[in-house]
Amino acid sequence: MTKLTLNRRRFMGTAAMTGVALASPAYLRRANAAGDEVNIWTYNDFVPEAFKKQFEADTGIKVNVRLVDDQGKQFNLLAAEAPNPTVDIMTVAGHRFLQFIDSELLAPLDTDRLSNWGNINPTFSESDWATINGNKWGAPILSGMEVLSYNTDLVTAEEAQSWDTLFSEKYKGQTAYIIQDMMSIVMLMKGYDGNMVAYMDDPDKAAAIVEEAKQFLIEKKPLVRKYYDSGAEFQQMMVNQDIALGHSWNGPAAALINDGFPLAMTIPREGSYGFVYTFNIANNAPNADNAYAFLDAILASPEIGASMTKASGFISTYKGASEYLTDLERKSTSFSEEELANLQFFRAEANELKYGLVDPAVEAIKAA
Amino acid sequence: MSSDASARKDPSGLAGQPGGLTAWGRLVAWGPYRALADFTTASPRRQFVILAAFPILWVLTQHLGPMLQMLRVSLTDAYPVAQGVEQSFTLDNYLRFFGDRIFWMPFFRTLAFAGVFTFCTLILTYPVAYFLARHVSRRNQMLMLLLLLVPFWVGEIVRTYAIMILLGNTGAVNLVLKWLGLIDRPIPFMYTSFSMGVGIVYLTALYMLLPLYSALEKLPKSYNEAAADLGAGAWTRFRRVTLPLTLEGISSGCTLVFLISTGFYATPVLLGGPSTTVFAETIAGFFHVAGDEWPTGAAFATIMFLAALLITGVFQRVMRGLRKGDTG
Repeated sequence: MTKLTLNRRRFMGTAAMTGVALASPAYLRRANAAGDEVNIWTYNDFVPEAFKKQFEADTGIKVNVRLVDDQGKQFNLLAAEAPNPTVDIMTVAGHRFLQFIDSELLAPLDTDRLSNWGNINPTFSESDWATINGNKWGAPILSGMEVLSYNTDLVTAEEAQSWDTLFSEKYKGQTAYIIQDMMSIVMLMKGYDGNMVAYMDDPDKAAAIVEEAKQFLIEKKPLVRKYYDSGAEFQQMMVNQDIALGHSWNGPAAALINDGFPLAMTIPREGSYGFVYTFNIANNAPNADNAYAFLDAILASPEIGASMTKASGFISTYKGASEYLTDLERKSTSFSEEELANLQFFRAEANELKYGLVDPAVEAIKAA
Repeated sequence: MSSDASARKDPSGLAGQPGGLTAWGRLVAWGPYRALADFTTASPRRQFVILAAFPILWVLTQHLGPMLQMLRVSLTDAYPVAQGVEQSFTLDNYLRFFGDRIFWMPFFRTLAFAGVFTFCTLILTYPVAYFLARHVSRRNQMLMLLLLLVPFWVGEIVRTYAIMILLGNTGAVNLVLKWLGLIDRPIPFMYTSFSMGVGIVYLTALYMLLPLYSALEKLPKSYNEAAADLGAGAWTRFRRVTLPLTLEGISSGCTLVFLISTGFYATPVLLGGPSTTVFAETIAGFFHVAGDEWPTGAAFATIMFLAALLITGVFQRVMRGLRKGDTG
């Protein structure tokens, strides 16, 4: 019995230690945080592999990348972990800043700690959306836009000058779009403010505009082949020739162009929206110093910006990055002055009003 | 507890020869191990509790736990709870479903699709199971089952992409039809309820096949032979003997396939079109794409779960009635 008693005690001791370990994730996390690492949530290809290896070799800081594919998912993950997140750097789109800031998930960015901050094109680093409550909240790294992409063997450049082609009988069953994004574009097509900032004091008008856009998309539903969600789906449909044209982000389209696919993209004359991806530091980040070291390093050279563009297809925000691109890559990530004049950035001020109306409308269009 | 008693219980018989012990033998002879074995096998009741503890713990933590957590989230007004926000309990998330008709269409569409696809899977797999159980030699049955299992070695997404390669405008089916001169332009199979159905039937076929095979394989051949001796034709033998005696397999297979079909997300997203939106996509929208409303998504998931359970419960009851009717 003595042996048994000892065994039980040992067992209970082991069990207790295991229990303490399992019940103390915060303690373990903090202990882990003391290590030389930086944890990043970002999209595929946003941290170039060569840069990552170089940074790890130079600083001894291990870079842990967790891929995300959606801003909402990232928000939920971070909200679930707050106020003690496991992440140091996230990738937030500029027009989603407010949601993260209001929930106290982001730390203001101390640009004085980034000696390479000046390498970012001021168009992006000093834009109105980039400063909220007197603070900067992220380092702009890549910029994207909603474009009309088309198979050049099937659609003419002239036809692609208008979003109307996306809804024409001629291309019935050969088009695709992200329905949520298309709502903003349809509002723009009809002469309204797709950001809905202009209607913040007039919710009835905002509701009427969303209703009009919704009815338009329901009416045009028989013409569309697919409502898709991810850039990979769009690429798949283009390559399989399931569609001839579609609304897309410029990144996935540029990647196809660089692969030699007969694709072109345009910002139609009715206009479109742009967005900027930024690297942000989480509020109460466990490795904040390492996060600043990483940000400063990734902003160091336009060559790094160019490699991010090559991999993702999105446009670099770095000064002089285009000099490191090939002619084809430069062509696939640039637009004419005339096209850029039609572009405006997504804004966040009216997001609550806008998405409170747009989300149910999207469900209604899908259900119709 | 004396060491003699332990020695008598030693199944290896190696306790007295430490020099020749294997690793297993040394473990069995190790005092603490023996004490632990004595403790755990002291009574049948204790043996049962210890044996059952791990499976029960597994079911509670890995199956019931997440479902209960989902139920809890569905009854709250905010989740994940952001800093400075106070969470309270509410039924609003459930009322939202019943109060807004736009959610009914994907809900009923999902149930209708699941029902139709389950029936199609049954019709397609029954002959395969029949052939396998009744016409393939026992020696080859395992080999054929193994071959049927091969697609399951890869994940659902990969198999879904395989369907895309088959049915796309430049896919194998269209290429063959074009090569045969049957079509000039590709048939748009993809992003329709057809492509989605093909995908779901393909992905769930094995869940139908195995219960059917099991039921058919247990059916003695002598029953059909006796029916034939009494003058029953092939169709009558199938209708009056084989089918009634495999109702249990049909019931299990249909239940499995129906429940799985109601929950499919990736396949409808990848293979479906604008008019095939299923409820899982609506639910997923609440978790990320449209508005980050976890409690509403959780409530909708609970509603679908309960509806699927109710339908399968009624189905099982009907099938039980049929079986009783046939044997009564």
